[in-house]
Amino acid sequence: MRNRILARAETPLAYAVLLALALVVVFPFYWMFVTSLKSEEQMRSLASMFWPSPVVLDNYRQLLGKTDFAAWYGNSIVVAVSSTFLATAIGTLGAYALARLKFFGRAFMASATLITYLVPPSILFIPLYAQIRNLGLADSLTGLIVAYPSFTVPFVTWLLMGYFESIPLELEESAMIDGATRFGAFRRIILPLAAPGVLAAALFAFTQAWNEFLYALVFITNVKLRTLPVGLSTFITGDVYGWGFLMAGAVLTTLPVIAAYTYLQKYMVEGLTAGSVKG
Amino acid sequence: MDQRLRNLAEQLDAGLIARREFLRKAAVVTGGTAAGLATLRRMASAQPKTKLRAWLFKSFVTNANDILGRQIEAWAKDRKVDVEMDWATFGDREPKFVAAIEAGNPPDLAEMHIMGPTRYKAVLRDVSALAGDIARAKGGLLPFAETAMKIDGKFLGVARYSMTTVFFIRKDVMEAKGLKPPKIYDPDVVEFARKTQDPSKDLFGFGQTLNRSDDGDGFMENIFWDYGGGSWDKEGKPALGTTFRAQNLKALQFAVDTIQKHKIQPPGVMGWTDVSNNESYMAGKLVTTNNGASLYYAMVTKKHELAPKTQLVLTPGGPGGSFVGSSCYNWGIFSKSKLADLSEDLIRWVEDEKHFNEYLQVSVGQAGPVYKGRVDNPYWKSDPNFEAIVQNILRSVNYGYPGPLTSAAVEVRAQHVLTDMAGRVVVGGLSPEAALKEAHARVEEIYKMRRA
Amino acid sequence: MATPAARLPASATLGRQRTAVGLAQWLGRDYRLGLLFVAPIIALVLALVAYPFCYAIYLSMTRKYVGVPPVWVGFDNYVKLTWDGFFRRAVYNSFVFTFGSVAVKVVLGMAMALVLMTHVRFRSFWTGVLLIPWVAPTVVSALNFLWIYDYSLGVLNYLLVKVFRILPQGVGWLSEPGTAMASVIAVNVWRGFPFFGISFLAGMKAIPGEAYEAAAVDGAGALQRFRHVTLPGIKNIMIIVVLLSTIWTFNDFTIVYILTKGGPGGATQVLPVLTYEIAFGAQRLGEAIAVALYMLPAMAAVIIVLARYMRRGRAA
Repeated sequence: MRNRILARAETPLAYAVLLALALVVVFPFYWMFVTSLKSEEQMRSLASMFWPSPVVLDNYRQLLGKTDFAAWYGNSIVVAVSSTFLATAIGTLGAYALARLKFFGRAFMASATLITYLVPPSILFIPLYAQIRNLGLADSLTGLIVAYPSFTVPFVTWLLMGYFESIPLELEESAMIDGATRFGAFRRIILPLAAPGVLAAALFAFTQAWNEFLYALVFITNVKLRTLPVGLSTFITGDVYGWGFLMAGAVLTTLPVIAAYTYLQKYMVEGLTAGSVKG
Repeated sequence: MDQRLRNLAEQLDAGLIARREFLRKAAVVTGGTAAGLATLRRMASAQPKTKLRAWLFKSFVTNANDILGRQIEAWAKDRKVDVEMDWATFGDREPKFVAAIEAGNPPDLAEMHIMGPTRYKAVLRDVSALAGDIARAKGGLLPFAETAMKIDGKFLGVARYSMTTVFFIRKDVMEAKGLKPPKIYDPDVVEFARKTQDPSKDLFGFGQTLNRSDDGDGFMENIFWDYGGGSWDKEGKPALGTTFRAQNLKALQFAVDTIQKHKIQPPGVMGWTDVSNNESYMAGKLVTTNNGASLYYAMVTKKHELAPKTQLVLTPGGPGGSFVGSSCYNWGIFSKSKLADLSEDLIRWVEDEKHFNEYLQVSVGQAGPVYKGRVDNPYWKSDPNFEAIVQNILRSVNYGYPGPLTSAAVEVRAQHVLTDMAGRVVVGGLSPEAALKEAHARVEEIYKMRRA
Repeated sequence: MATPAARLPASATLGRQRTAVGLAQWLGRDYRLGLLFVAPIIALVLALVAYPFCYAIYLSMTRKYVGVPPVWVGFDNYVKLTWDGFFRRAVYNSFVFTFGSVAVKVVLGMAMALVLMTHVRFRSFWTGVLLIPWVAPTVVSALNFLWIYDYSLGVLNYLLVKVFRILPQGVGWLSEPGTAMASVIAVNVWRGFPFFGISFLAGMKAIPGEAYEAAAVDGAGALQRFRHVTLPGIKNIMIIVVLLSTIWTFNDFTIVYILTKGGPGGATQVLPVLTYEIAFGAQRLGEAIAVALYMLPAMAAVIIVLARYMRRGRAA
């Protein structure tokens, strides 16, 4: 059943608030989209502000035909997806151990994971770059795939610790009484139960990786290996922005995350519900 | 089993259903990764063993960038080597340089800003021989460029071109009012702006930000010199709030007055970035502005209606003369490079007059001369507007003027000390005296730290 | 909901059945599997966070210019910052930026969660729509708002002046001291409130329906139910989200950097942007890192409080 905070009579108010919020959220994206279809002359003349007239596809044509945008797209997907898998795997194992297993130093490690959140990325990236280079991963997508978990794993671990703790202990016990090993119980009982939480954590890690800018800017020098946010920023050449061009890139960069979320957002809510942010 | 455990079993069931759904959705993602990893492997195996890494400046003049890229590719083919080119724009350059230098992984050569040789002298290779050869072949370096490239007696950069700023005027508006181009800011520009502007129609006489930006800092620096002041004295010691206090106060007051007293600037000008005046000018909202040739290029290549209505003139001056800060893009080779000879060869190739001329022809005035021999290139007579560009370059002075070009002078500029000062007056409500004092303290501190 | 909502006293019974001796006695019952499972995190944290972090702390105690070896100066950088007017203003601005943003995000997030708890139709569609700002790349959003705020060509001034005729003349949103900070805060809020909304929503969903029914039986109105059932029910989640967001907002670089670079006249200069300026503008790495680390003790306090609430949230 559904909790009711506002009674039915208050539903019109709810719609009003909802529409207002949706307008604030959607309008900038609409504006981005409209801009991407305008010619520069139209933009400067302030004519037909809210609809491109005529609709101009040059920005997209140029973006896909004359730049490495398509390659950057591929890079972003590779980096975001791979680093998400890595971070989710590491975080899931760690979270389970920290939430459920008894071993020396557990509490300390749980706190230490939290504390890594303290470290502002803006100071880390120079020593981190040196480290990535020591590992022979400078100027490669693998370098980013390895580096991104440094900021996604803490949250993933954290979210999942709460999730695992919310799963009743009896389930594991009864499985172990039936002869399963602890690992077996983890794999067959706990992990499936935690699937929505894992997915929520993975979505979170994906978003962060997809959006990351500073590391990608610094670690990658090969033009063909850039990720989307960095590639987009290189369209700001000198002191004149091509707004239409920039917005065309922005539209294409934003689409996949929006698609992923509309598809998977219910797990996000569920994951957070049962996860660490549970009150 | 009690009721509770039965419930749990049901929940487990529910969990398993969720798992199937999860797996189905995950399959979509996994497919993507598999494809991605395949690409990754292909990329990894495609990496050749030795290659020259060149970092290039991605200027706004994209045609010129393309030509430089093609020239370097042609060179690589001719010399049978691989070149990896990385293009970076204004804002992205410094983090990349810093990270690369600090991680011990700089490129072999880089196209640098005028600050490059001063800033990165500790990690740059002495290229005196090469710079000397090239300068001799082109009739020698212009004095400002020689000073900027030669640090402690050694050339650390091979000069390439100068990207100056000029004063843009709407010729049509000027002629309609029967006016002549202004020569000094006060009162010429003020009167010119007042007579031509029409705020009710969103047309403003002058568009010059005092915000922290290249445009803003360049203007502040110039105007201090125009009033006979500056941040440094002849010996290169801080003079902002001491030796030149009186002159600098007048200059600061004038800069602030353009906004607050004369009201010849559009609202919002204090938040302008380097883009804003270009946009406003092209939108027909400004009669005059200071900008680099990039704005002219943008209008000419896009056949903008204002391009033929635009006149470029010398940057206006003040009671102490008329000054323009210098610009000198240049090539630097990092001392870590194992391919120094190859890098030098590449520099010779692109600076060869035949190749440079190709570049110049599409630059629409952006690739201004730094060698005496390039001043007389017929290209500079091909458009009457180029005259101002060449003349502005010939009279330009370096950071630190009237003193030497020092690390401290570069840093004062890079830290936006002068625009911060203007901002403290216009935005922060400080008196010009107090803002000048505060800024002087910053200059002193930078000076002390750089000497330590 | 497919997840177990029942909350049993955790880690009680099994933990006491200690049978193993030897190593297990010292290292804990599950030390083998436990260490195996946390080993990747330990490796990651040591290699990619701890080592660079320690090196950063070291650098903050040196005078370090780019390309030149560091010179040890102890706490000089920190002492100098304490008396530096620009740094102090940046600290002040960072607090204004952070707390201003977080406060508005709480309000909007609450509104979002409440309306998504009602019987509106297509709820999951609306949830998806409202989440978009949070998932769109920050670089993209910041550039988009730079364009929206543009004085002469931006749509915001167009709407206010030409469409709704609220203002006689456009506003330089990012260029006037009165509006610049509010404008960057607005973008941070726009981007961040969906996380608040969705977390609050998750918390509200976990409140058992009986609690509301009981309140309704007692004759409580909507407002009272909100005060006496909803708010206490999501108190912990609110604290956690607020603290998390405080850290994120405090460290947010992209939005301010793209929109104002700290201007006009330092009115929006926040610590991460100042760090960046000193590191790359001035190329004084030691001092730059000191700027970033200066507020670490304060942030550590936030983290400790956060950790406590998270633990309490679980134990409850």
